[in-house]
Amino acid sequence: MHQSYRFAIIYFVLFGVLLLVSGALLFLTKMGLSVEGVQSFYLGSAAHFAQPKTPYGLLETALPHLGAMGLFIFVLGHFMLFGTKQEKRQSILPVKLLFVAALVDIGSGFMIIEGWHLFVTLKIIAFLTLQLTALYLLFLLFRSTLRSITKQHRR
Amino acid sequence: MKFTLVKDVKGDTLMRPLLGGLLLFILLFLSSDILYKAQHLGLTQSTLAQTLYGNEEEYIEPATTDFMLELLHADIFFMMMTLLTLSTVYARLCQNPRLRLTNINITMITALLSLIFLPLAYFLSAHFVLPYIVMFYSWHFMALMMAAVSLYYLLMPQKSDL
Repeated sequence: MHQSYRFAIIYFVLFGVLLLVSGALLFLTKMGLSVEGVQSFYLGSAAHFAQPKTPYGLLETALPHLGAMGLFIFVLGHFMLFGTKQEKRQSILPVKLLFVAALVDIGSGFMIIEGWHLFVTLKIIAFLTLQLTALYLLFLLFRSTLRSITKQHRR
Repeated sequence: MKFTLVKDVKGDTLMRPLLGGLLLFILLFLSSDILYKAQHLGLTQSTLAQTLYGNEEEYIEPATTDFMLELLHADIFFMMMTLLTLSTVYARLCQNPRLRLTNINITMITALLSLIFLPLAYFLSAHFVLPYIVMFYSWHFMALMMAAVSLYYLLMPQKSDL
């Protein structure tokens, strides 16, 4: 692999961290990590003058996220194919978990407005799982790429 | 990223139009992004400051935190995917290892700095408005140059091809 590819992957990791941080800030400012916060975001709140969300409104957010999250997880996961066998093995479960967490995170809103209150808690769990698992995979990729850059540099 | 494994991308009858089309779209994306941001956000010190902090005399409201975060979130995704793809294509087509590494590093670092300076300008101080504009134009210029040069390398025969 070209040394330039490895640098491009390191920058991809840095962009990935910024993406997760901005996503977390959006989640925290819009709903927070409490059950009440998520509930009032989707079902509306008279105290906060917030209207309940409509299925069309949710679709507007879900649509770009379905494309973007699928692509992000695929690109992030496929870079692990260039790592060692152990790193590849370590990334199998997180990749599967990421796809499931992303799907639950995106789909929960629709279930909440349909009255499935269990999905309020699931939404928070899926969001945290998504953030932490993606961070873990980014860390694995960063460590693996940095190691190969150092190895190449020594030669 | 199959093109990173094809040995002769310029000679491959499918890879050549594929990469050519991709580079053309990246060129259009980068140019449109400059035009869009100039209209939507403002790319001069006065217009950007007006969007971020509002203007009482002209009854312009300051940008909301939600607006800023959503803009940044979407920008980060498009930038990471575009620059990753462009860097790998450029690395494949540019034959000078020192030059390609320098250009990729400058583009990525200026892009990352632009993403850091915009929230700093909004949340912290107006001193970061100008650095953001400089970084925004720098990474766009570098990326446009990398895409144009890659397209040139792809379409024009080089000494190494003869």
